[in-house]
Amino acid sequence: VTALSSGGLTTGVASPGGVSSSGGLRRFGSARWRRRNLTFDKISFFLVFLVIPVAFYIAFVVSPFVQAAYFSLTDWTGFTPAMNFIGLSNYAKLFTDATFLQAMANNILMAIVVPIVTLGLAMFFATLVTVGGSTRGNIRGLRNSSFYRVISFFPYVIPAIVIGLIWSQIYDPSAGLLNGILTRLGLEQFTSFAWLGNPHTARWAVMFVIIWGLVGFYMVLFIAAIKGVPAEVFEAARIDGAGRFRTAISITIPLIRENVQTAFIYIGILALDAFVYMAALEPGGGPDNTTLVMAQELFNTAFTKGQFGYACAMGVVLAVITLAYAGLVFAVNRIFGGKSEVGE
Amino acid sequence: MDINSRPLGRRDFLRGSLAAAALAATGSLAACATSGTGTTSQSSAPAGQVSDTNPFGVKSPSTVDAVIFNGGYGIDYAEFGGKQVEAKQQGVTVKVTPTTKVAQTLQPRFVAGNPPDVIDNSGAGLIGINTIRDQLAELNDVVEAKNYEGTVIKDTLYPGVMNPGTFDGKFIVLNYALTVYALWYSASLFDQMGWTVPKTYDEMLSLGQEAKGKGKYLLGWGKEAATYYQTMAIGSAIKEGGDEVRLALENLKPDCWSLPPIQDVFNGLKKIIDAGYVKPGGSGTQFTAAQAQWSDAEQFILYPSGGWIENEMKKQTKSGFKMTGAPEPTVSSNSKMPWEALHSTAGEGYIVPSQGKNVAGGKEFLRAMLSKDAAVNFAKTKLSSTIVKGTVPADGFGSTALQSQIKMLEAAGSNIFSWNFVDLYGMNTDQLVVWNSFLSGDSDVAKLTKGLQDITDKVAKDDSIKKVQVS
Repeated sequence: VTALSSGGLTTGVASPGGVSSSGGLRRFGSARWRRRNLTFDKISFFLVFLVIPVAFYIAFVVSPFVQAAYFSLTDWTGFTPAMNFIGLSNYAKLFTDATFLQAMANNILMAIVVPIVTLGLAMFFATLVTVGGSTRGNIRGLRNSSFYRVISFFPYVIPAIVIGLIWSQIYDPSAGLLNGILTRLGLEQFTSFAWLGNPHTARWAVMFVIIWGLVGFYMVLFIAAIKGVPAEVFEAARIDGAGRFRTAISITIPLIRENVQTAFIYIGILALDAFVYMAALEPGGGPDNTTLVMAQELFNTAFTKGQFGYACAMGVVLAVITLAYAGLVFAVNRIFGGKSEVGE
Repeated sequence: MDINSRPLGRRDFLRGSLAAAALAATGSLAACATSGTGTTSQSSAPAGQVSDTNPFGVKSPSTVDAVIFNGGYGIDYAEFGGKQVEAKQQGVTVKVTPTTKVAQTLQPRFVAGNPPDVIDNSGAGLIGINTIRDQLAELNDVVEAKNYEGTVIKDTLYPGVMNPGTFDGKFIVLNYALTVYALWYSASLFDQMGWTVPKTYDEMLSLGQEAKGKGKYLLGWGKEAATYYQTMAIGSAIKEGGDEVRLALENLKPDCWSLPPIQDVFNGLKKIIDAGYVKPGGSGTQFTAAQAQWSDAEQFILYPSGGWIENEMKKQTKSGFKMTGAPEPTVSSNSKMPWEALHSTAGEGYIVPSQGKNVAGGKEFLRAMLSKDAAVNFAKTKLSSTIVKGTVPADGFGSTALQSQIKMLEAAGSNIFSWNFVDLYGMNTDQLVVWNSFLSGDSDVAKLTKGLQDITDKVAKDDSIKKVQVS
């Protein structure tokens, strides 16, 4: 990096005004470089918008990744300067480690359920608030829709860890709000029922909390997207006799497809992580490890078991799964006719 | 300007970025191999004069860097110890830093070869001793030195307190706080109801029935503390079956959890659970909330825990509760060890990294902590004994729990045992899962045994984990 930039800079400073082939450039030796007009403007543009960000990116993003990938091939304990290279045996161990595989399965289930339910609900509410109102007159949302919009955004304003702590109190078997209400309603079987301690309910209970916390945000996201669609489109659909459901399926979703895809990726990554929610709700992995997520197992392996090399291998697998998830979302979108070029 | 006549093409830009990335990437790859390997700092040799009053030769002036776990005991007792050092050793200052996550905070310092001089390695986020034991200074010279009153420290300690800190013959962890594991109850409630403390699991079962009659449960638990029942079960099994049970577990023997004494204890517990004498919902209850159901609401009457329980629940204990401990029950009345035998170990593991800048200072700090003033201060303010004998008066500073601890220790005499394997191999997190389902009645003895055996076998079969041979 330094050779390129300092060499270039010298040239630029020495001969401002666009000398095409100065002495400084010849050092690169390539005919292609010589032909280019490397002016001060160009060089400074390269430097400010390319070299510095790339250097930062490599130093603080790429290099830790590379380092973690390397550590995953060692038996590093995390507390010594020394480590031994052991090849792929951490990975071999990983795929026979029942606890980790269970955590992986839990994460995958969450990455399927949480996005579908959250975005489904968010889309439902967003439609109601924007175009689901009276079928007479202008296209509009339900009455007082701005009130609902604000209310539903509230949970997102609360930090995830606080949401987790609030709900762990609500779920408390003996003193919690939920069982209090249920037993008051005469459902005696819920006396001291451990929502977070029963292997049949724990994972659904924590997923409910995550969904509760996120619906509002994605609803607002979808509202913004739907507002970007010209009202005439909806009016035309209505004149053609499309009901609210048909409008949502055939008009709204295809028109805001890119937003839905982005939302899917964001929330999927969150569901594959979920560490914060779990740290508050189920720090121990839940009953029979039904709520254990990979990030928790990674943390535990690194810091309590002192196996950083093995933990790095878990991290690499988690990263690969996340990328695969993103790839899957793109692929599904393309299959159903979306343009693959996102962000353009 | 040239840039106008010849716009910067996208391809040029991309090519440039590739070149830059390639250059930088090779640079960082090369750096990667060394970045983890910080320089191995050579511990500076003590330049101070070794003398009777300065047995480790602490340099003056120098600073002692102490990192103390800020948990149930706080850090003020360590600051008190630091003041003692400063008073005795002119020019030495002690810097006490609190932390709640020992492993996370100190991991980079260990890698960089720049650890603190003395660490209180405790709490849920402690550093697994197995991971760092090659990097710790042996502490034999600390206990062989004289304390500030002139007595050899070793002679002032309770018996066996060095065992839990000794690994493969090396004494590297000084566990400071004496912990007695017991079955805790309210002496006032038991007197009022005319109950007696159960000595076997059968007696516990019948007490459960009596308690039920009064609308109370016998036992209860919290999700993060389900393994307190494992601690009690192992304690009971060792009393019943003697040392062979302890050694089988410590050395991760195949089928160790299927030994008859352990199975008898599990079956005894299972009967209590099946009879409905355990307060349900524990696997979803935060553990201090569960403990308050015992100490404040008195919804259940017995709780197995360590001696820290009094301090932990100080603010959530019913007035007049008279918290009292009893030894863990045995299976039968002809157990190999008497009922009075006690599971006692020392907690708050102090370590001195051998790469620290001021190793002698770290040891001097421990010497101060083991001297009378600091030890009495700890007992008095924390209502818990240190490993130093004779710091608790007969009235236990007004604490019934502390009184009963000292009484239990006296009654046990030399029948004191403890074990390390759970913490040593970091098994607790995995075991919690198995115990939560057992206590909530969702699994049976066979499932519990298999679950625990799987956890043990996984460690035993993993060659990358160093094992400690116990005999």
